[in-house]
Amino acid sequence: MTLRRLLSRYTGFSGMAAKEFLAYNIWFWMNLFTSAVAMTIFVFFWKAIYAQADQIAGLGFQQTLNYVLLAQVIAGVGESGILWTFGYQLREGRIALELLRPLDFQGMLYAFSVGNWLTGLLSRTPLLLLALLYGLQPPADPLAYACFAVSFFLGASVMFFFEWMLGCFAFYTTEVWGLGVTLFAIQLFFSGTLIPLDMMPEGLRLFAQILPFHQIVYTPVSFLAGITPVSQAPQVFLGQVAWIVGLAVASRWVFSRAVRAVTVQGG
Amino acid sequence: MSQNQPAIEVSHLRKVFHIPQRDPGLGGAVKALFRPRYAEKVAVDDISFSVPPGEIVGYIGVNGAGKSTTIKMLTGILAPTAGLVRVLGRDPHKERVANARQIGVVFGQRTQLWWDLALVESLNLIARIYEVEPKRYKELLEQFSYTLELGELLAKPVRQMSLGQKMRAELAATLIHEPRVVYLDEPTIGLDVVVKEKIRAFIKEQNRAKGTTVVLTTHDLGDIEELCSRVIIIDAGRVIYDGPLATIRERFGKYRGITFETARPLEHPLTLPPGAEVVGQEERRLELRFDRTRASASQVAAAVMGQLEVLDFSLSEPDLTSIVKQIYGGALSEARPV
Ligand SMILES: Nc1ncnc2c1ncn2[C@@H]1O[C@H](COP(=O)(O)OP(=O)(O)OP(=O)(O)O)[C@@H](O)[C@H]1O
Ligand SMILES: [Mg+2]
Repeated sequence: MTLRRLLSRYTGFSGMAAKEFLAYNIWFWMNLFTSAVAMTIFVFFWKAIYAQADQIAGLGFQQTLNYVLLAQVIAGVGESGILWTFGYQLREGRIALELLRPLDFQGMLYAFSVGNWLTGLLSRTPLLLLALLYGLQPPADPLAYACFAVSFFLGASVMFFFEWMLGCFAFYTTEVWGLGVTLFAIQLFFSGTLIPLDMMPEGLRLFAQILPFHQIVYTPVSFLAGITPVSQAPQVFLGQVAWIVGLAVASRWVFSRAVRAVTVQGG
Repeated sequence: MSQNQPAIEVSHLRKVFHIPQRDPGLGGAVKALFRPRYAEKVAVDDISFSVPPGEIVGYIGVNGAGKSTTIKMLTGILAPTAGLVRVLGRDPHKERVANARQIGVVFGQRTQLWWDLALVESLNLIARIYEVEPKRYKELLEQFSYTLELGELLAKPVRQMSLGQKMRAELAATLIHEPRVVYLDEPTIGLDVVVKEKIRAFIKEQNRAKGTTVVLTTHDLGDIEELCSRVIIIDAGRVIYDGPLATIRERFGKYRGITFETARPLEHPLTLPPGAEVVGQEERRLELRFDRTRASASQVAAAVMGQLEVLDFSLSEPDLTSIVKQIYGGALSEARPV
């Protein structure tokens, strides 16, 4: 009961994410439009490629099409934007007031991110419909969907803690634009939003697998696209949980140092 | 917590900021990277005071005196360099989260509200975070809506509010969980008289009804006169006065004004007792002020009446603004027995 009460104090922030999302409805349509355009371009691009070959890196046309469409549907949804949040709060001097809320600061922002992921996924429904029009063949196995959902949330959590660590730089520099843009570009490529990791040259693929970015696109989508078999799920989840534990501990430690820039130096 | 334990206790509090020094240009930036140099800024030098529960204290001083820095240390967001802070028996910095549940803070023009959402959404969230009973929350929302005239503001996003509306919203958000201690750092900055009045009435009511302890920082002495029985004046990070408002008047209100209405305009210069001087003169009106340590009102009045036909005269209390101006100006160094 007390746990439920405690949780309810945090989940209020998840709800705020949804409400804030609704407050920006112009953004929503803009975003949907550009994503739809991107999806269309991708479909024609891959059709042209597969006109030359039956298989690329062991993936047939339908598999790749499934992957690319789904990757476009969820592109960006699993990002937490923590880096921008920190940058904004520090620049506006808002951080002090946020730190004065009677909750764990990281827990608060995590709850907010969970809300963002859920609303993000829901808001992408129109794109899913478009993907079906473009020939997406969703899997029949319900387990594949479950694996997608679990690995997406675990992956988004991994990225949350990872970005949290990077965000701590903002406490020293207060300037996050450069870092943010770099992160965006790296993430776009190494998450597998543009091409499935399988198609990367050996060395690059290994590198991408060492980095955490693939966990918010490639890992969940490959379950739905039939690239990663459901039987591998336990192994994948375990790996993600290990990432989360490690990064959660590390990010809290890094933050406890970074926040001194505010609590000792006065921001 | 026992009844007599102070709500806030501060002893020999000190805060020194280390400001990184950097020569201009890229060279300077690189040099600073390898051999950082710091300048020290003593924001709070040595401050001690204690506030009993239920008191409203005015915490005043010139720009840069160290008021906001003190408030930040009281809230727990800033770590003291030295000295001790206890708020409701806790070290606010070490127990920041536990302390946060019991306090409320307003920082001038900053906001804790959600910029793009209707005010009521922020209030709902805050009530949930602080676990305000739903029934109590409804009651308070009604009360606050009445005193602060929140009415149509509740549905408005903060982004669209005027400064005065924002401040009313902010106060509601800060007090909706009925904190026992409240810090208000310039809550009336930039507001018109009507809104100021509303805000003062609200603070007064919360204090009276719930025994809320309030530390109020302001440059508007009207706030102080209206709300505070006690004033702490600081300068350069030190307390230069701590006591009742009335005493400031008595001790530092050296000058008193006296105004005469005369039958005829003044024709020749007046001879006045030492310590008295003319400060204003109109057709048939004469304004004087006198140092009451050197002359008495009756001496001055008698002197004037001896030289002029007086129809009426009135004595005025020194106003707080001019007194504080005197104190800030260094009057205390000559009369230091604080
Ligand atoms: N984070 C900081 N880093 C360095 N110096 C600071 C910092 N914060 C405040 N100071 C300095 O400390 C001194 C006290 O500042 P503070 O904000 O406490 O003044 P104040 O009494 O609130 O003034 P005001 O009436 O203008 O609000 C000032 O000289 C200020 O420049
Ligand atoms: Mg200040």
